[in-house]
Amino acid sequence: MNKYFRELTVAAALGLLMLGLAILAPHFFQFQPFISRLTSQMPALVAAIGIALIIISRQIDISIGSQFSMCAIIAGVTAASGLPLGVAIFAALGAGAMMGALNGVLVAYLGLPSIVVTLATMVTWQEALRLWQQGRLLNLPKGIQWFGLSQPAGQTIVISLAFILLIGAAWAMKNLAAGRFIYATGTDAEAARLAGIDPKRTTFGVFVLMGILAGLAAVFNLVQSPQVQPNCGDGLELKTIAAAVVGGVAISGGRGTLWGVLLGMLLLANVNPALTHFHQPPYWEKAIQGLVILLAVVADGIRSRKARL
Amino acid sequence: MKRKTFIVSLALLATLPFISCSKSESKSKLTIALLPKSKGNQYFVTCEKGARTAAKELGAELKFDGPINSDPAKQNEIVENWITDGVDVIVAACENKDSISTALKKAQAANIKVVTYDADAQPDARSFFVNQATAQGIGEQLMDTAASLTGGEGEFALITGTLTAANLNEWIKYIKAQQAAKYPNMKLVDIKPCDDQKDKAQQEATNLLSAYPNLKAIIGVCSPSVPGAAEAIKQAGKAGAVKLVGLGLPSENKAYVKEGVTQAVILWNVEQLGYLAVMAGAAVAKGELAPGATEFTAGKLGKMPVAGDNIVLGKPFVFTKENIDQFDF
Amino acid sequence: MSSSRSFSIKSLLARHETVLVLVILFEVILFQVLGRNFLTGRNFSNVFRHSVEIGLLAVAMTPVILTGGIDLSVGSMMGLCAVLFGMMVNSLGMNPWLAGISAVAFGAMGGGVNALLITRLNLPPLIVTLGTFSLFRGLAEAITKGAESYSGFSPSFLALGNSNIAGLPAQIWVFFIVAAGIWFLVHRTTFGRSFRAIGYASEGARYAGIPVARNTSLAYIIAGAVAGLAAVILVARLGEARANAGIGYELLAITAVVLGGVSIFGGSGTVVGTILGWIALAILNNGLTRISDYKIMDQTVASVARELSGLLTGLLLLTALTIGASTKTLAVRHARKQSLAKPTSNPATS
Repeated sequence: MNKYFRELTVAAALGLLMLGLAILAPHFFQFQPFISRLTSQMPALVAAIGIALIIISRQIDISIGSQFSMCAIIAGVTAASGLPLGVAIFAALGAGAMMGALNGVLVAYLGLPSIVVTLATMVTWQEALRLWQQGRLLNLPKGIQWFGLSQPAGQTIVISLAFILLIGAAWAMKNLAAGRFIYATGTDAEAARLAGIDPKRTTFGVFVLMGILAGLAAVFNLVQSPQVQPNCGDGLELKTIAAAVVGGVAISGGRGTLWGVLLGMLLLANVNPALTHFHQPPYWEKAIQGLVILLAVVADGIRSRKARL
Repeated sequence: MKRKTFIVSLALLATLPFISCSKSESKSKLTIALLPKSKGNQYFVTCEKGARTAAKELGAELKFDGPINSDPAKQNEIVENWITDGVDVIVAACENKDSISTALKKAQAANIKVVTYDADAQPDARSFFVNQATAQGIGEQLMDTAASLTGGEGEFALITGTLTAANLNEWIKYIKAQQAAKYPNMKLVDIKPCDDQKDKAQQEATNLLSAYPNLKAIIGVCSPSVPGAAEAIKQAGKAGAVKLVGLGLPSENKAYVKEGVTQAVILWNVEQLGYLAVMAGAAVAKGELAPGATEFTAGKLGKMPVAGDNIVLGKPFVFTKENIDQFDF
Repeated sequence: MSSSRSFSIKSLLARHETVLVLVILFEVILFQVLGRNFLTGRNFSNVFRHSVEIGLLAVAMTPVILTGGIDLSVGSMMGLCAVLFGMMVNSLGMNPWLAGISAVAFGAMGGGVNALLITRLNLPPLIVTLGTFSLFRGLAEAITKGAESYSGFSPSFLALGNSNIAGLPAQIWVFFIVAAGIWFLVHRTTFGRSFRAIGYASEGARYAGIPVARNTSLAYIIAGAVAGLAAVILVARLGEARANAGIGYELLAITAVVLGGVSIFGGSGTVVGTILGWIALAILNNGLTRISDYKIMDQTVASVARELSGLLTGLLLLTALTIGASTKTLAVRHARKQSLAKPTSNPATS
């Protein structure tokens, strides 16, 4: 079967959904709402790139929602204190890198299981943020939204930066040594070590990168409105992991493409808008998303079973 | 060896309850415990501010604690902890009416007075309810304001917190009832949950605007939904064309109200609600306020009327472009 | 086996369970000294009454994690079972005890769905249960349209959640029975011992003749059934069944299991460890709410107890893991040195 079977099936499912929308609810494709919707999905896409790299290297990071909230609030507080936007962005990326590095040290160099480490850091950051902010909605100064530019300009910047990042990362995963290191580490860390790759350093690097991407995603979120809420990252870990899995990234590591992640992200993110546009009640959303995830993994299971027989 | 460890551990744990020596507490000060629906919420933070003022005036100790997530079991846990503490009175805003009543009845059985505020429990689980405005009052006020903005006709949609939130559902019920009774030319097309996330509210509003091109108004039933929906309307360039009203704090909505994106934000004086709730709690604990009373003196608020077992704060207040600058909470 | 006394104390100290008992003792002393009304009978029953659902989930999660799996769906399963239970009692007029048993059966069926996907299709447990995590909660919301809730249960049923039997909360006795049952299964039957073999090396276990798929399935089915039971107990305590029951409990349960020293990779750990981990967390949660004389960041500890206990849980978990990882390295080194010095049998078999 085709190497890109999964990507193609998800693309087909997405295409079908879009076709249905085009026939039954053409309003979905009006320019402005379409762009606004796409812009609001960009932060999750950026975070999903990171999570895909994490999963490809056979790790998991469930702390990214907390990292995201923490970075958003740090950037928000920095900006609200009157410092320029550049400093705020730097603070968010730096905070992300540090939180990622902590995960990275514990997982790569102490050999601790990533799911437990990131479970612990998830709770830690989340509660630290609550202690600090008590859930207050933070008003941002003028000049933060859309980087101080007009709305179309801001949206263009966010969308194009996210896609440039995606294309760059996809290219790097395929063509750069670092990218191959990640696949190699995820496929078989011991074999990778024997081949001269340092799997510990690779794993550490991936976690730091995840933190930076969480920070960047938080910045992309921050610039979309004049306020920021400390719970803005809640549920992001599940959303992005689901997107990666539906997009064909194998949870056992070593396999998956970022294009698949993009498609998975778009498919899951459009379930809810589609329900609204089909004028359906919202309480089926979670059940449908769960079904999509299960269908994707079941399809995987059946395929690999056939392959074995 | 494993068994030995286990037995030793058990033995150690078993001795614990016996080495206890309960501390004697000076019981001179009145202890009032204030339970919000959730702690990390500007609304209840403001309530707490009023409550602290009241406690200071009364010379009472105030405990303030509440859930920080949507686990429905948490409020019960907090109330039961307070029963252990032996507080004098519990003043509670109830998230899940039926489940919290179970715990409040236990408190009453332990001779703790119970007063509710903001959202009521079952009537036999408390002595008085400090009502900021009835659910009916809120629902009708929201619907009336939306209708007056749209001229009483056209499609409208609701954005709520979570689908499971009991009090929001209560308000929605009255919004629907009011629409059916008074505005036959208006039509409720959709109700979307925003999970108390502003960003999700923004996405939901964006979808509503494109899915229902004839939408005339959005009503935000929970506080994060109002600024979220406002941003969506602004991005869609439909400010003024689609009216937005909702429940929320002035500080969170000021910018959008002034820009003319949000037409009206509805709320009572939250700080006074916290103040009144604590004053009522103290009065009940001291026996100054007993069933059958028709009024009681609530500190600086003066004499407040009591209707049956309800103490009503007053009508909800409508914040608009003209008056929103006067408020700082 | 224990040739010298000093050695046995040393190995006792090295055991995870002993460390946990010390942590629990430390917590108890700390909260008794700093807090008010901590060691009172009423508070002690509160500690366990409020956390018994998580304890149940943690104990039932232990076999799953021993096999090297994980079950993220137990919290959502509680929501679904709570709603189904409420429907059966309120809409169908079923006897609450019968409905309770049915809810447990529904839980087992849900666990069966997980088991089927994981063992028959060889899918990763993390992803399967992530899918059912959304699915079960989604079904609970869809059935109730998100808004409906069920209440008005009979007092005799509510007693399960709120009364005492022989001085202890009624539901604790249920916990004792379940915990004893799972302890017996895991540590005293060949069936249960196979969980660890599977987690240690599932291929190896298969070659050794263990029916890996069947035994792993049982672990998930138990987890589902116990989640159903936890839902019924929660409803009995709260007096209300709603689709949001058990939100976030899966992570609390996993935290207790891991803190209890069960390896998340499977293969090693004990039910007693899990129970101690759960007790340590439950006491931490409650104890901080007792401290009202001390302040942190201008607020009394009690008023930020929930945030603090979350924060401390995270830190405790990280510390436990780090210590665990470094003692393992030390133990390996120690064992290596010993086996080089004198080739006698290694007494530290866990």
